Amino acid sequence: MSLGKIFALDKVATFFNIIRQNGGIRASLYKLYRQDELKDGTLVGEDKYGNKYFENPRFFYGRNRWVEYNDKAYLNYDGSQVPAEWFGWLHYKTDLPPHKDPSRPKYKWMADFTENMSGTTGQYVPYSTTRAKVEPWVPKSKSS
Amino acid sequence: MLRQPLSRALTLSSPVRAAPLAARPYAAQAPPPPEKVEVFIDDKPVHVLPGTTILQAAALVGVEIPRFCYHERLAVAGNCRMCLVEIERSPKPAAACAMPVMKGMRVKTNSDLTKKAREGVMEFLLVNHPLDCPICDQGGECDLQDQSMAFGSDRSRFTDIHFSGKRAVEDKDVGPLIKTIMTRCIHCTRCIRFASEVAGVDDFGTTGRGSDMQVGTYVEKMFLSELSGNIIDLCPVGALTSKPYSFAARPWETRRIDSVDVLDPLGSNIVIATRTNEVLRILPRTNEEINEEWLSDKSRFACDGLKRQRLVTPMMTDSRGNLTPVEWEDAMVAAARALRDCPPGKLLAVAGDLADAESLVALKDLVNRLGSDSTCTEQYFPLDGAGIDLRSSYLCNTKIANVEDADFVLLIGTNTRFEAPLLNARIRKAFIHKDTDVALIGPKVDLTYEYIHVGDSASAVKDLATGSSSHEVMKRLEAAKRPVVILGADQLKTPEGAAILAYTQELALRLQDKLEDKKWKVLNVLQRTASQVAALDIGYQPGVGAALQAGPQVVYLLGADSGVVSRDQLPKGATVIYQGHHGDAGAAIADIVLPGAAYTEKRATYVNAEGRAQQTLVAVTPPGKAREDWKIIRALSEVVGQRLPYDTLDEVRDRLSEISPALVTYGDVQDNNYFAQARSLAQSLQKPVSGKVDVQLKKLEDFFMTDPISRASPTMAKCVQAVIKQKSSKY
Repeated sequence: MSLGKIFALDKVATFFNIIRQNGGIRASLYKLYRQDELKDGTLVGEDKYGNKYFENPRFFYGRNRWVEYNDKAYLNYDGSQVPAEWFGWLHYKTDLPPHKDPSRPKYKWMADFTENMSGTTGQYVPYSTTRAKVEPWVPKSKSS
Repeated sequence: MLRQPLSRALTLSSPVRAAPLAARPYAAQAPPPPEKVEVFIDDKPVHVLPGTTILQAAALVGVEIPRFCYHERLAVAGNCRMCLVEIERSPKPAAACAMPVMKGMRVKTNSDLTKKAREGVMEFLLVNHPLDCPICDQGGECDLQDQSMAFGSDRSRFTDIHFSGKRAVEDKDVGPLIKTIMTRCIHCTRCIRFASEVAGVDDFGTTGRGSDMQVGTYVEKMFLSELSGNIIDLCPVGALTSKPYSFAARPWETRRIDSVDVLDPLGSNIVIATRTNEVLRILPRTNEEINEEWLSDKSRFACDGLKRQRLVTPMMTDSRGNLTPVEWEDAMVAAARALRDCPPGKLLAVAGDLADAESLVALKDLVNRLGSDSTCTEQYFPLDGAGIDLRSSYLCNTKIANVEDADFVLLIGTNTRFEAPLLNARIRKAFIHKDTDVALIGPKVDLTYEYIHVGDSASAVKDLATGSSSHEVMKRLEAAKRPVVILGADQLKTPEGAAILAYTQELALRLQDKLEDKKWKVLNVLQRTASQVAALDIGYQPGVGAALQAGPQVVYLLGADSGVVSRDQLPKGATVIYQGHHGDAGAAIADIVLPGAAYTEKRATYVNAEGRAQQTLVAVTPPGKAREDWKIIRALSEVVGQRLPYDTLDEVRDRLSEISPALVTYGDVQDNNYFAQARSLAQSLQKPVSGKVDVQLKKLEDFFMTDPISRASPTMAKCVQAVIKQKSSKY
């Protein structure tokens, strides 16, 4: 066992490595604020919504693949923003990321991915089948 | 025929009502009360006046005797027999509601005999009553349900269902308000007594006897009364239920909020039953000073008008001149720009029939801050003489409850039956129970009681006031100990209005000065709308005539829907801002519409015709983007740049109390004074008059639709149709 390991100097080196990879102290603090964790890893790919996918086998299984959401989402990110093609890789259904997997179906008619819109103005609201409790006044049209 | 109450038949003191008007003596002062007698109810001693019934004596010591036919405000019938009680040393049980107490009487309301008698009565009632409680609208508020649980037997001996079946009676059609299921009727005759005593429409009666007895109108006929809805409340079972409310809700599902009615000037107390943010029905709330426990049909059934023709979003005219929905921000900015760009004297605010005191004061403060002084109400009142400076000149000074103590009532140009139905019920009560006589100057209308018609020329008022009249009424007025003069505010619109008011004041105060009872007030001016008194108290100018002459550039209509302001009276290019809750005459001519709240949707102050401030409470939320009225004006003031100094309702009410403390003393009514000053200021106005006295509401069909809420109500429209149809029928 080397002297470095005894004094845990490799941990210190990893720490500085993580800070460096994340772009310095200020950027690291920002990332910690936004994502509550700071990791180093290799960039596996980026989807068309700007989310970045990382992998680092040093972390244990289940924590070794992760996504960093597009900066535009700021704190309003959630799991539904991961598109379907990256979902499988992120959840260990496959080890091949979408751009390296030639067998994935690609058709023109496939609908674009949308995130979960619940709680926003874009959410789905079925039309009402009951009569309105209050009938509004409809002004008479002056010029037809 | 009117049935005499039993107490009167027993005391034999009053003359028979059927005697012609002239032959009867004047109502005399009440004789000194006779000595009280002691009786024992369940061994509890109680001292009562002789002539009190056992049921009333029992109520004094807190013993509730079950009853169906007995009602405090109606004559005693004594035909349901539910109130049977045992009296010591009496062979048979006696009906407590009809039995006067006697000295030393010992009544047992809980003995075995009493219980057995009640059980027997209940069994007979249920033999002839269908068991359809699950589909009956009265379920949950049914006297028969409650009392059969409390006093009935726990098993039935009714087996006749296998042979001749239950009694069944055909339903009657008595109009669009009352649904009848006559099989459920237990023949308590409350509806019959109400119709003939209180409503004064002698249409109901019974036919047949025994198990063939039926309550009905003899021929199929609508119940032509403005108080018809009250028989729904009176009916102890589900025989008479509300047609608009049928199968709508159960009483335990509804939330009840105490409030005040604003559709007539009396401010009747009401309970609003709501469920899921929807007004389901309106019921009367007992207030002895105003409405007793009755309510007029308009106040009760017009509540479905609150759901139709509503303004739910702010609107503005687009480039083509059509009103289109916009956001609050745009409407506010446009309204504020119009107000700011308006030259100081060219701004006019008009308050309508249903405006509350809070929004009235906020609007007046805003208009005054913008440098204008023209705030008006739609109803006119003469400003000559004392005008509106003295509160006594525009109020019902006698007070509504005192009218029933009057011994002579003179109505001038008012049809109280339709302008204030519950005041008319009071006059009728006095007419029947106290031998009060009534005289009317105005067109011949049906007031539901006999009256002396003095003609319809305005000069009759003058003759009475100057004492030069040779009419019989003159002598009767002079001799009366507690006379009441009621002047309809509609008369004041005419050019001769000031003179009629001056003569009425002269007459009333001449009578008042001679009275022994110095506290009795004679003069009454009956306003037509719920907002007028508060508006005059706050300092609004009555009538828009003069203000329209000045050619206003911006007109702010606060619920002004009676059509006195129209486009052709305004100069071209004038901006009309309408704030209110219904799309009616006002919103139709507006450039900017700000949606407000109706009286069920805001906590607001209203002052009734006698000057009593009362408040409505929030029963449901305003629909859509509508907001409380004073808040809209407060927000607008911020955008205009003339911020009003109040942020909460309490602060607005502090402002109201600065103007007049009477506006915030809820439930109280102040005594008015300065009659002599008003009279002397009016002396110069006593000019000769030649016109005719006319009233606006003559017939029942005129009564139902008088304001934006009742005009929007489908039930009220059905009533008008039904009355017109009934009038053309041969019965």
